[in-house]
Amino acid sequence: MNTAPRQPSLQNRLLLLVLGFAVAVWLGAAVITWRDAQHELDELLDGHLAQAAALLLVQAQGDHDDVSDTPVLHKYAPQVVFQVFVEGQLITRSSNAGQQPMADQVEGFSTVRREDGALWRVVATHEKHHDVTVLVGEKIASRQSILWALMRSLLQPLLYALPLFALGLWWSVRKGLAPIRALRDTLERRAPNTAEPVSLTGMPRELQPLVQTLNGLLERIDHMVQNERRFTADAAHELRTPIAAIRAQAQVALGAGDDVAERTHALQTTLAGCDRASRLVDQLLTLARLEASPDTKPAAVDLSAVARRVAGELVHTALNRKQEISVLADAPCAVAANEVLLGVLVRNLVDNALRYSPSGARVEVAVHTDAQGAHLQVQDSGPGMSDEAIGHLGERFFRVLGNEQPGSGLGWSIVRRLLAVFGAEAQIGRSAELGGLSVAVHWPAVAPKTE
Amino acid sequence: MRILLAEDDAMLGDGLRAGLRQAGFQVDWVRDGMAAERELASGVYAAGVLDLGLPLKDGLDVLKDLRARKIDTPILVLTARDAVPDRVVGLDTGADDYVVKPVDLNELAARLRSLVRRSVGQLQETICSAGVELDPAARSVTCNGETVPLSTREYDLLHALMRNTGRVLSREQLEQQMYSWGHEVESNAIEVHIHHLRRKLGPELIQTVRGVGYMVQREPSGA
Repeated sequence: MNTAPRQPSLQNRLLLLVLGFAVAVWLGAAVITWRDAQHELDELLDGHLAQAAALLLVQAQGDHDDVSDTPVLHKYAPQVVFQVFVEGQLITRSSNAGQQPMADQVEGFSTVRREDGALWRVVATHEKHHDVTVLVGEKIASRQSILWALMRSLLQPLLYALPLFALGLWWSVRKGLAPIRALRDTLERRAPNTAEPVSLTGMPRELQPLVQTLNGLLERIDHMVQNERRFTADAAHELRTPIAAIRAQAQVALGAGDDVAERTHALQTTLAGCDRASRLVDQLLTLARLEASPDTKPAAVDLSAVARRVAGELVHTALNRKQEISVLADAPCAVAANEVLLGVLVRNLVDNALRYSPSGARVEVAVHTDAQGAHLQVQDSGPGMSDEAIGHLGERFFRVLGNEQPGSGLGWSIVRRLLAVFGAEAQIGRSAELGGLSVAVHWPAVAPKTE
Repeated sequence: MRILLAEDDAMLGDGLRAGLRQAGFQVDWVRDGMAAERELASGVYAAGVLDLGLPLKDGLDVLKDLRARKIDTPILVLTARDAVPDRVVGLDTGADDYVVKPVDLNELAARLRSLVRRSVGQLQETICSAGVELDPAARSVTCNGETVPLSTREYDLLHALMRNTGRVLSREQLEQQMYSWGHEVESNAIEVHIHHLRRKLGPELIQTVRGVGYMVQREPSGA
């Protein structure tokens, strides 16, 4: 297979989509958790700060003799700071607190940057009676580290789980797509020339329409291949005889020696054989084209004009055989057909009439329209055909017995094929007027199609 | 040698008949299967060339029916059907040779000579008897090493006799083997040709069996 541009893989696509979605959901959940936790933590710690400030305030109302530094009792103590001012004088402070008030405000919470450069959460409270102001601060960073620890313990297991999840997902997707791979294997194992449809049993519902379409395609391809094969075989078979004749006659001409009459006859027959072979090739090609693309777009074509043109082209052939062609096609007569193919049809009919009628015969081509539709009649004064022979007409390579004219029976195959393409019908019988064969082609009158 | 040609195609039949005549065969031409079977059953032909796609009766059926009637005239099938299964069926049905069209006329003639030779149990290409050697491929006759010029009829008569060494052939049999359709045969023609042959090749080659016909003695084996 072609691997140059990387082909998108259904499995990878599924895997990435599901994995991406899962990660996105996790991240979203983590953000929400983070915000929730941060909010709760702030509330809790702010509560503690306020509580501590209240305690200090109550205590400061009692005694404020001297400035005192409280000792550090916990390793987290440096993260916490407090100052107690009475009448503007700093009376108590934690060891890590400066002389200046940490914050400007006298009531409520604020976030300030202290001289150590860190951000602190500070709560201030004020008692008017004794003019006591208590400031309690806590390092924001310590809050962050608590939050981080919280998030870490929450997210870490998920992080470890992600590869496991991805692996499991990969396995599930692979497992889920197994029917597609099975189908691929089935198709790969098929012999190139089988037309067997792919079995639908056990095929998942989603794949059924695909396989059905595929089977339809296979059937059509098989039909085409069969046609092609039969055509090739027929063509090869049918071309061998004229070629064998040409070869034999040419060899006879070479070996004729002094016999001028024999040589001339052989050479003339050789030429006639070449004409015959080339006509056969033309017919085979026409038939092949017809069978390859039967759906040529029909348009309104004037049958009378086509009949006159074809008759004109064949007049020379008729004169050579001392035959007479007459055309009765004065009024225009529109039929739905392809002009080139219609020409082929008329030509085949007239050509057959000339070919299988003796010298001096008459061939009449008539076109007329009536309520039933358009009619084309080609009749001749030749020997006509038996009913049995008429029944065999259109079978490839059927030829009337005892006919001296070289032919392959392909002309009728072409006519029949064209009639099917045009949706026309033909009646073959004995000509009442001329006594020979009569072929009447009838295009049924159809109302213009409304689509 | 008289050959029956069964071929329905006018152009090819005409060419084959002319070509085989040039190669020295007497050729009768029929165009349908029924006529082919009737003529081949008559037994006057040294061999038959049979097309398979014949009207009225298919060549294979003709072959089958002939063989069923124990008629063993050598038959060369000449056909456009070239697939291996077709060849196998043709040969199995009783064809002695199977040739696909188009064919070289010289090859066809050689194959026919070979068929006829084998049908009378003769292995060498040339036939010898009493110092006379006949070469069917070259249509030449030598007597004690020297080429003897013979007319077409004399050669055909001698070939018919030498092809059937040891067998007595009647005048009618000889005429049937020598003359294709449309030839008037004078009543004493065979006697005249025998006379000429004896003059040219010596009196002991062709023996007269009184009241029956003529014969060329079989060469002692090992010669």
